[in-house]
Amino acid sequence: MFQVLLALGDGEKHGYAILKEVEEQTDGHVRLSTGTLYAMIKRLLTDGIIEECRNRPPAEEDDQRRRYYRLTPLGRDVTVAEAERLEKLIATAREKHLLKRLKPA
Amino acid sequence: MSSGFISPSDRIYRALLRLFPGDFRSEFESEMEQAFREQREGIERRRGKAGLFRLWGETIAGIFTTAPAEHLAMLRQDIQYALRMMRKNPSFTAVAVLTLALGIGANTAIVSVIDAVLLKPLPYRHGDQLVMLHQRAEKVGLAGVGYSAAEVQDYRRQNGSLSDLVEFHSMSFTLLSKNEATRVRTGVVSDGFFRVFGVKPILGRDFTSADDQPGAPAVLLLSYEYWKTHENSDPNIVGKTYRMNDRVHTVIGVLPPVPQYPSENDVYMPTTACPFRSNPKTVANRNARMVSLFGRLKPGVSVDHCQSDLAVIAARLEKQYPEAYPKELGFTSTAVSLRKEITDDAKPMLLVLLGAAGCVLLIACANVANLMLARMSGRERELMVRSALGAGQGRLLRQLFTESFLMALLAAAFGVLFASQSLKLLVDFTARLTPRAREIQVDGHMLLFALAAAFLTSIVAGSVAAIRPRNNFTPGLKDGGCNFSMDRRRVTARNALVVCQVAFSFVLLIGAGLMLRSFFKLRSVDPGFVPQRVLAMKVSLNWSKYSQGEHVLDLTDRLLSRLRQLPGVLSVAASSSYPLDADAMRFGGWNQRITIEGRPENGSERPPLTEVRSASVDYFKTLGIPLVEGRIFERSDNEHAPKVAIVNQTMARHYFQGSSPIGRRISNDGGESWVTVVGVVADVKELGLDRDTADELYLAHTQAPGLGSVLVRTQQDGIGLADDMRGALRSLDPEIAVPNVVTLEQAEHEAIASPRVMTDLLAIFAALALTIAAAGIGGILALTVNQRIHEIGIRVALGAKPGRVLSMIIGRGMGLVAIGLGIGLAASFAFTRMIKALLFQIEPTDPVTFAGVSVVLAAAALVACYVPARRALRIDPLVVLRQE
Repeated sequence: MFQVLLALGDGEKHGYAILKEVEEQTDGHVRLSTGTLYAMIKRLLTDGIIEECRNRPPAEEDDQRRRYYRLTPLGRDVTVAEAERLEKLIATAREKHLLKRLKPA
Repeated sequence: MSSGFISPSDRIYRALLRLFPGDFRSEFESEMEQAFREQREGIERRRGKAGLFRLWGETIAGIFTTAPAEHLAMLRQDIQYALRMMRKNPSFTAVAVLTLALGIGANTAIVSVIDAVLLKPLPYRHGDQLVMLHQRAEKVGLAGVGYSAAEVQDYRRQNGSLSDLVEFHSMSFTLLSKNEATRVRTGVVSDGFFRVFGVKPILGRDFTSADDQPGAPAVLLLSYEYWKTHENSDPNIVGKTYRMNDRVHTVIGVLPPVPQYPSENDVYMPTTACPFRSNPKTVANRNARMVSLFGRLKPGVSVDHCQSDLAVIAARLEKQYPEAYPKELGFTSTAVSLRKEITDDAKPMLLVLLGAAGCVLLIACANVANLMLARMSGRERELMVRSALGAGQGRLLRQLFTESFLMALLAAAFGVLFASQSLKLLVDFTARLTPRAREIQVDGHMLLFALAAAFLTSIVAGSVAAIRPRNNFTPGLKDGGCNFSMDRRRVTARNALVVCQVAFSFVLLIGAGLMLRSFFKLRSVDPGFVPQRVLAMKVSLNWSKYSQGEHVLDLTDRLLSRLRQLPGVLSVAASSSYPLDADAMRFGGWNQRITIEGRPENGSERPPLTEVRSASVDYFKTLGIPLVEGRIFERSDNEHAPKVAIVNQTMARHYFQGSSPIGRRISNDGGESWVTVVGVVADVKELGLDRDTADELYLAHTQAPGLGSVLVRTQQDGIGLADDMRGALRSLDPEIAVPNVVTLEQAEHEAIASPRVMTDLLAIFAALALTIAAAGIGGILALTVNQRIHEIGIRVALGAKPGRVLSMIIGRGMGLVAIGLGIGLAASFAFTRMIKALLFQIEPTDPVTFAGVSVVLAAAALVACYVPARRALRIDPLVVLRQE
């Protein structure tokens, strides 16, 4: 789910764009299926983490069947908070020389 | 991309998406299709066919894991919402749940009984192959003649349709264990009896053919109940000895808890241990018919085939022994499947109760549907808002069903509780009708039925509640949702529900009314004696000890004189039996063929048969049976005096038409000895208040000693004397079993217990139905008044008189009631025919009942209409118009 939020971190995207972004972000390790993605989108919409975006691209680039989603201010806060939490974890791992040992720079 | 073309892959994907809930699909379907198409094209470009295969795999797996989760989430949401709605309207929820609980509970209880008694296979091995044989004297309408020992041998040898044929009869004996005497009902059975039924003892062994040989040591099998209650489930019971009929009897085993047919017995013994059955005179006498026969059909043989087989044997025996089978009696043998035999008495009552309970559930269901429908009008705005926000019609339906199902489920839980609580009452009631009552229990079937009833109820109630106005939602939203025009469909549905409730209630009330009238008739039957302040003590003598008449007379004399000395005793009497004795009523009377001196015997006419009783001098005085003609017995009618008899009025009418029976002579042993009639007494309902009085012949106790019971009339209510009576008997012979003492009022009460419980149950159902229906009518009128408040306000403002407004509202309600009554009337004519057999001296179309019930129902409906109509009268036109 965090990957989806990250994918939306730099602006609104439609479903397929999110799928592609997540795949690229993870070097192909995480590939979401459409079912999984839209179940997540539904939950994120219900919880007010993301919202549907009314601004659509110019008509020649648009497809009416697509819907575009973006982070809400709450969603942005949640994403940032989660990223910071992970950052702290990584920092701790580094302090304990775990990361280096596991994955030398 | 052409939007008109749909590729096979798209089709497959769309089909897979159908696994998601409708709401989910309507929100994301086209978008998901588009995303998947783009994903597919991208992968195909980059990774070729292999990538495509992997994508399909991941997609299918993704859908299969997320779709069920989506369904679950939605269900959870629906349940939470429904619970919130239920909490928000506690009174609505309480009424709906309570009415449904009563409906479901009543049905669950009765279905459990029907399941155990009528539906489940008999708890015997291949129970459907078991039959009971009946010998009848067809031409004189005598059923259940029984079979003699010689006949048992004949039928066993000559039949070709039964693999086994075993005999049974029941007797009361005194069982002596150390110093304690107990009267036990003893089943006397032939070798192989329990093997035919597939019943194996849970302790010890079954009878063997060696036990059934003359001279074999006497052995006993105990019934499960007797072992449990009298021997405290002693695991070492096998080998215990009792004294019985002057012989030592050894316990060889204990039977499992199975229904015993034709009667429940405490212990069982082989035929050779029964002093009567093993008596050489009995064995040799083809006319000593005292046993019942059970058989197992050979594989593939039908009951009908067995019937014809038996008829052939009966005809052969009639030809072979003409004296034993007089032509004018028309002896014949038939077979009835044991299952039918055991359950036939219970069937009509149980089916009527099921019908009644079903009616209550339908009425409750209609009521809940009506309540929900009414509430739907109130929730219209909420539903419209939800619909406008994108909730599909299916989703709203689902929401409604979830709500009604939750309520029904709650009701089912209460219903099961109610059913299991009331089951004991039903078991007691059913036990009067069938030995299978013991199989009734709270089991999985019961829970399953309650669940099914809840499910069906919610479907019915939910579907009706889901009837929606035809117009779309926008007008409702525009006018603020507080003034909907009454939608015709909903009004019609609600009216139809009220009509149904009235009709069903009417049918139930008619049923209960008929049973009630029938019961009152039964209760007002003159029993022919005065049961108040009479105690009856049943005496079970040890047959072997009191085989001589003088011993019996001696005991009787001493016992009666002791009882006379008890305080408050007005008179005492000894007799062979007492009226309305439960056992006698169950097993029928003791019919004897008699000869009346000087009465020509017509070959084609039924030979005289009569009940023969022995009665002491004060019998008629003690019971308050009036003398009609002649005299009653006197002390001078002793064993040395000429033998005398008294007949009842029915017998006098029957055999001495027009002339007085006094002085006429009667023989009950084919003319060997004669008794002279000295008196005629009034008729007594000996074997049941609902039965026709039989011909009765009373013999003087001193001349025909037979001590079966002792009767005591007291000054005041005398049940306190019971212990003294028992004490008096035990002091004379401690080896006589502790007898049962009842008041004759108890006996009379017990004699009509079955119809009483049946009437009570139907009355409860009918009262329930009436209450629910009245609430339904009141509810719908209250709603009507609410919805027409403006119209009524305007009418009042324009000068409409209160009486006119009142009659308008009441007229509307009563119009529905009238239609319901009409339908109920027609249905009742069909229904009441089914309970004809349960009615006593009342026609199923009894006009008094029909008129009475119509008045009661109309009155209840009128009251229900009046309350909302009064509210309409109090409407202040100014307030209403201002709101406008």
